[in-house]
Amino acid sequence: MSTALTLITILLPLGYAAVWADYLWLFYTDHPWARRTCSRLAGSLVLLHMAAIVVRAVGLKRLPMGTQSEFLAALALALMGTYLVIERRLRAKQTGFLTTGAAALLMLLASLAGPGTANTSPLLQDPGFAGHAVLVLLAYTALSLSFLYAILYLVLARQLMRRQFGLLFRRLPALETLERMSVVAVEMGVPLLFLALALGHLWMYNLADRVDPKMAATLTPWDPKILLSWVIFLAYTAGLVGHRFWGWRGRRMNIMAVAAYIAVVVGMGAIHHFFPTFHKFPTLDAAVTADTLEQSLARHAAAGSPLETREWR
Amino acid sequence: MTGATTLHVRSINHKTAPTAVRERAHLTEVRAAELMDALSAGSTGAGGGRGEPDCVSVIPVSTCNRTEIYLEVRVGADPDAILREALTAIGAEADLFFGEHALRLDNLDAIAHLFRLASGMESLMLGEPQITAQLKDAYRQARAHHEPGPGLLRAFQGAFRAGKRVRTETRISTGAVSVAFAAVELARKFFDRFSRHRAVLVGAGETGALAARHFLQHEIGQLTVVNRSFERAQALAATLREEQLRQLDEPDGDDTRRVDRALRARADRIVARPWEELGAAIAAADVVLTTTGATEPVIMPDMVHEAVRGRHGLPLFMLDIAVPRDVHPEVSKIGNVFVFGLEDLDEIVQGNLAARRNQIPHAERLIGEELDQFRQWLEDIDLRPTVAEFRAYLEDLKDKQVGFVRKKHSDEVADEVDKSLQQFIKKVLGRSMSTLRNSESREERQRHLETLRHLFSTDDRDPD
Repeated sequence: MSTALTLITILLPLGYAAVWADYLWLFYTDHPWARRTCSRLAGSLVLLHMAAIVVRAVGLKRLPMGTQSEFLAALALALMGTYLVIERRLRAKQTGFLTTGAAALLMLLASLAGPGTANTSPLLQDPGFAGHAVLVLLAYTALSLSFLYAILYLVLARQLMRRQFGLLFRRLPALETLERMSVVAVEMGVPLLFLALALGHLWMYNLADRVDPKMAATLTPWDPKILLSWVIFLAYTAGLVGHRFWGWRGRRMNIMAVAAYIAVVVGMGAIHHFFPTFHKFPTLDAAVTADTLEQSLARHAAAGSPLETREWR
Repeated sequence: MTGATTLHVRSINHKTAPTAVRERAHLTEVRAAELMDALSAGSTGAGGGRGEPDCVSVIPVSTCNRTEIYLEVRVGADPDAILREALTAIGAEADLFFGEHALRLDNLDAIAHLFRLASGMESLMLGEPQITAQLKDAYRQARAHHEPGPGLLRAFQGAFRAGKRVRTETRISTGAVSVAFAAVELARKFFDRFSRHRAVLVGAGETGALAARHFLQHEIGQLTVVNRSFERAQALAATLREEQLRQLDEPDGDDTRRVDRALRARADRIVARPWEELGAAIAAADVVLTTTGATEPVIMPDMVHEAVRGRHGLPLFMLDIAVPRDVHPEVSKIGNVFVFGLEDLDEIVQGNLAARRNQIPHAERLIGEELDQFRQWLEDIDLRPTVAEFRAYLEDLKDKQVGFVRKKHSDEVADEVDKSLQQFIKKVLGRSMSTLRNSESREERQRHLETLRHLFSTDDRDPD
């Protein structure tokens, strides 16, 4: 089993690179062979990667997102998987080179990061955290794709406005398609984000009984990261409602999508660096040195405290 | 060229002859049939005294850009003399096919030309797909009339295969290469599902009608015709409606998209509106095609400002193919309004043509591969009768052995033996063919063939 996993670890970055090359070939040449193979190749790779992650999770008895390498690989998988869902729904393959390229880069970074030190964080063994983390990853991946398609919309619109009939004009799908791809990505991201937040809230209350009282006091729904996530959820939901019922379309809609995503990134970054939040994990953030939820949970687990389930208050 | 026949083409096409000459050379369906009759009843000089005509088969291909006559004649026969005689007999201008405007190719050169033709490489518009359908029609008519000889049969099948490969493995047929199609291609960069969108045609002239037809063919959801003369607008709308309804009864071609028949049948799909309602028509449309004969712009900025107000940022695509322009220059400065003209369409066409030309080397490679296969087939022509006889002999032996096994054992065992011997025969024949093909000289090959005939001739078979 370990040999197979090692082999897959070596093969996956090569596979991602091959998929990217195939999509790039499609974009530049529109070759029929590339058109036939790219989605199948990407789909096979996603299945292989998912299988590898499941096997790894079973083997390690934890969520395989405990090292930088594991996290980057999971991000690559989320990106590729989310993209494939959108591509399948809209039958537009010409933008694949961008997403698969980003996924291939993440896989390369994951390989370069090396295996890292074995992570025994009790958080990673917690199903509540695992579900929450995976949903958050998928939700923000979908929103990132929405941003990408909105950017492509604006680029193509600009090309058309300037009457530039070059490669992008010939290869990119219609403005209408790009807009729909952006909207579909949001349609995927919004429910995923809601589920992630709901699960996060439930898990937080369950967790409060398993950490130091001082740390338990910080577990609050008013945590700035949680609050911002709800704002993001509401903003994107409003965007969807506007698109569906109030006819928000075109350039304005896509500028809003770009602006919203930039606000998400800037807001999250600012909160992470300048506000107190329990959402900091040494596992994924080398800069985190203060006493964290993760450390508190580890201490509590080592002390052998019985697990309790606190009721929702 | 080996074998008992030779292949030839005599062609008058857009590269060799002006339109006037091509018109004189054109063969109608009736004329083509007469030509086939005349050739099948032609001279028998090279028929080996068997009374068979020298011309084994003929396939005439006549389109607006070319008239080509593909001939398969017996070795030793003069294709030009045969063709001249037949053309004269049906009252066609025979001299045209042998003069300065004619292209005359023989054997592999003729086949290479046919393969290139089927691939759209010889077309006036590089890569256009219509020629394949025209070749298939000619081939079908010829077969219905008289079964073509093995050479032409194989050549045309190879040509269709080459054409299909070139069209599917290269992009030689992609991208609009006519202004009308470029208009649709450009609009498709805005809206991928035309059926959800509306178009307005400003002006009821011929150019506008042609552009409108293309948009209707690509399933635009609704078309509104607006013209200064409301009667003319109504007349054009009625004509376009009739055309659409007529098309409902026609089967779709291979290369057309599936047509939404319910959409086409909708009575309100094509409507006319008076000139006073031009602003309202533009406000309700996503695509504006304008081709009036007006000397001053008719689509003004305030009209468009009003139109885009309720669009919530949805782009408005305007195509102004009028000379002088119908759309005021200020309109293109309005947000979410995209105005294009004839020069833009021409630029798209030129870009697509350049992209198609870039595909020529790839297409040539594919045609070369198919030609190699045809050449191989030609070279094996003389092997076939002997190898077929050898196969028959082996099959006969196999059947006897299987029958023998079937008497003594179960059917399952006999079937297994049958399968096993089939594989054996395949391997023996494959090895024999490759040995014969790889003979160092034609003499050696003939010697091998003679030996094979001598060893396994049906006359000398052991009755047991």
